[in-house]
Amino acid sequence: MRGLRWLIVPLLVIPLGWLLFSGFGRDPREISSPLIGRAAPAWTLTSLDGETLSSEDLAGRPYVVNFWASWCIPACVDEHPVLAAAHEQYTDEVAIVGVLYNDASADAEGFLARYGDAGYPHLVDTDGRLAIEFGVTGPPETFFVDADGILRARQFGPLTDPLMSVHLSTILPSASR
Amino acid sequence: MIPSIGHASILVGLGLTVYAAVAFVLAARGGDSRLSVSARRAVIGSFVAAAVGCAAMVISLLTHDFGVRYVAENNATTTPPFIGVISLWAALEGSILFWALLATGWASLVLHRYRDRYRQLMPWAGATLATINAFFFAVMVWPGNPFALTSPVGAEGTGPNALLQNHPFMALHPPLLYLGYTGLAVPFAFGIAALATRRLDEEWLRVVRRWTLVPWTFLTLGIVAGAWWSYEVLGWGGYWAWDPVENAALLPWLTATAFIHSAMVAERRGGLKIWTSALVIATFVLTLVGTFLTRSGIVASVHSFTQSAIGPWFLAAILVALAGSLTLLVWRLPGLIGGGRPSGTVSRESAFLLNNVLFLGLTFAVLFGTLLPLLVAATSGDTISVGAPWFNTVTVPIFVALLFLMGVGPALPWGTASWATMRERFTIPLILAVTVTAAALALGLRDAASLGTLGLAVLVGAVMVDEVVRGARSRARSRREDPATATWRLATRNRRRYGGYAVHLGVLVMAVAVAISSGLAIDRTVTLAPGETASIGGYEVRHEQLVVEALASDRRVIETRAEVTYTGPQSGSLRTALRDYPNSQAAIATPAVRTSLAEDLYVTLLASDQATGAVTLHLFVNPLVVWIWIGGAIVGGGAVFAIWPERRARRVAVEHPQRVPAEPSVEGA
Repeated sequence: MRGLRWLIVPLLVIPLGWLLFSGFGRDPREISSPLIGRAAPAWTLTSLDGETLSSEDLAGRPYVVNFWASWCIPACVDEHPVLAAAHEQYTDEVAIVGVLYNDASADAEGFLARYGDAGYPHLVDTDGRLAIEFGVTGPPETFFVDADGILRARQFGPLTDPLMSVHLSTILPSASR
Repeated sequence: MIPSIGHASILVGLGLTVYAAVAFVLAARGGDSRLSVSARRAVIGSFVAAAVGCAAMVISLLTHDFGVRYVAENNATTTPPFIGVISLWAALEGSILFWALLATGWASLVLHRYRDRYRQLMPWAGATLATINAFFFAVMVWPGNPFALTSPVGAEGTGPNALLQNHPFMALHPPLLYLGYTGLAVPFAFGIAALATRRLDEEWLRVVRRWTLVPWTFLTLGIVAGAWWSYEVLGWGGYWAWDPVENAALLPWLTATAFIHSAMVAERRGGLKIWTSALVIATFVLTLVGTFLTRSGIVASVHSFTQSAIGPWFLAAILVALAGSLTLLVWRLPGLIGGGRPSGTVSRESAFLLNNVLFLGLTFAVLFGTLLPLLVAATSGDTISVGAPWFNTVTVPIFVALLFLMGVGPALPWGTASWATMRERFTIPLILAVTVTAAALALGLRDAASLGTLGLAVLVGAVMVDEVVRGARSRARSRREDPATATWRLATRNRRRYGGYAVHLGVLVMAVAVAISSGLAIDRTVTLAPGETASIGGYEVRHEQLVVEALASDRRVIETRAEVTYTGPQSGSLRTALRDYPNSQAAIATPAVRTSLAEDLYVTLLASDQATGAVTLHLFVNPLVVWIWIGGAIVGGGAVFAIWPERRARRVAVEHPQRVPAEPSVEGA
């Protein structure tokens, strides 16, 4: 019986450790998006280069919408090369569009000049309309839309190469590893 | 150059603390006092190292050295020097550096002060403190290096956290909180030392109680300052939201408060050794859990910092501290059982014990509410949040019960209370309380919680005043002093008791202010064109004009400002603004608060239309809010009064060692 008192140590430590550990790798702000499985919002916006682009232009093609901002440091800086690499690798299969989230065009251009411009368009979402329609809570946030225009996946926070592959596989079967 | 010095100082600090920990353990085992001395010097050296590190960081911030990643992310060329200095604790890595400064400072202070005393305890306490500090230095060497460099080096940085820039309270709230957090490592270290040496006696209790009271004071002031900051800055008209980060500060405060009270019973009557040492351990572990919750990014909060690699480090530290100290406690358990003397059902002891049960109940309730979202997410994958209504429902009854106990407990005698004493001490306060509550009811106060709190406050206040008056009168009679002198001398000779009364008085003031301000606050949202007025609670608020301009102190910040005038119980003008910081996704509200002793007029700008100059304002009239801060100040003042060294009393204690236990000086905060 007296040895039983030792049980208190694992009984307290293990559950607490498990509970706190379980929090890693999950974003507390992540809430399951009601949009997944439905048609992605339609849009027509102007890019930083002054070209007008709309979701219609991408019809029949899977695409990725990445909300970012020049002030979103370090998360947007961290994921920037991931997007650039994906753009290079899947340039024929998938379109990538960046959307400025509450950012000045000049600041965004400065960011691209500093961290590299992969060449995909960046849209200016002047009044934040598109961010609201996608339900963005804060940059960076990325949405994956398949060839039928259905929203398939959503990434909260910065993308990494493995995460990019996982999400791309939902809209692009050939990308799955 | 400067960043290299900073980085080197962290490495030196790690080396010194690791050495000190090892040397202290060797000194404890071998009894070599020279090892102890050298270990103590190493700890003081680690404090110097941390100070050099902090200085290097501040210089880097002030000189806008954007080659340092921390500076690039928390500073800009336009950042004013004052904000630059306090940016030391603007983000994770700098906070840990500052934390290390305070933690090594506490350790140096304690080890220096007790260099010639407690020869058995000190090496173990020193080893524990050095180990904890080594952990913080290690975090800075590996996952959270404040001097990490970045390239390419930009010409401009991101600028400090917008919320940090917006109010001078950010210079006060984090340091106070950190002083409390880091200081609570001291009683933990003494707890470990006492368990290791089996010296969990009255001497230990006295030292630990004092060293809990000091950080407790800082923690209290830090929590109040945080509530005040949130009231002045966040623009929602409130001061406490049961945010996980607020809870993180509250949890160790609750267990530390419970400890301070149970230590009084233990000191007086012996016993409670398991209980007091468990509270000391719990308090320290909860400071780590609090830091983990706030800094690892695993719970959503207004304070959410970026997710970082230090999470696993802190988790490991929590588990090691908890498992290690629990193992030690369980190992020593057979020697700790017993020792207390029984007492009557209605006595001061039982009031203290009930107080501890209630504080523990609060701790579990708050901990449960804070961790429940994690538990649900881990088991079902759903996301839930536990909101203020749940916390209020669960905790308010316990707080009310504690308030009651706070008044009754100190008036009860040790041992067993007789009916005669009870009648003598509680009849008049009870009648007063009922009268005031009935009067408030007649005057229109209908909220049950507010009424109950008010009645209790009168009861508690009357009991307390009665205690003080009775003591003073008896002294005035026997020593032939005038009442004021008698009261002051009585208080300064029983600092713990009277400091404790002052703390209770402050809590009382805060409780009434919280109850009334949450029960009687009114608010409304109005949209006004320039020249239009709206009325709220006797005030007429008139929107004069909308101004949009860059801030004079930092041109990158655009301020959209409503200028309003008001008439009523007070009159004057206010400016409330939304500030758009370049590195913040949402505009930061700058509410305007007109404070008076009776009520605050609180105006915050929600939206504006630049074309017409119209604004949408949220107006609040919050009664008595200022008394929450005044109450907080009384609590702090009372605690300082209680801790203040009792010179004269100590001499008396030396001369007449037999008389000390008979003096009614055991109760305090």
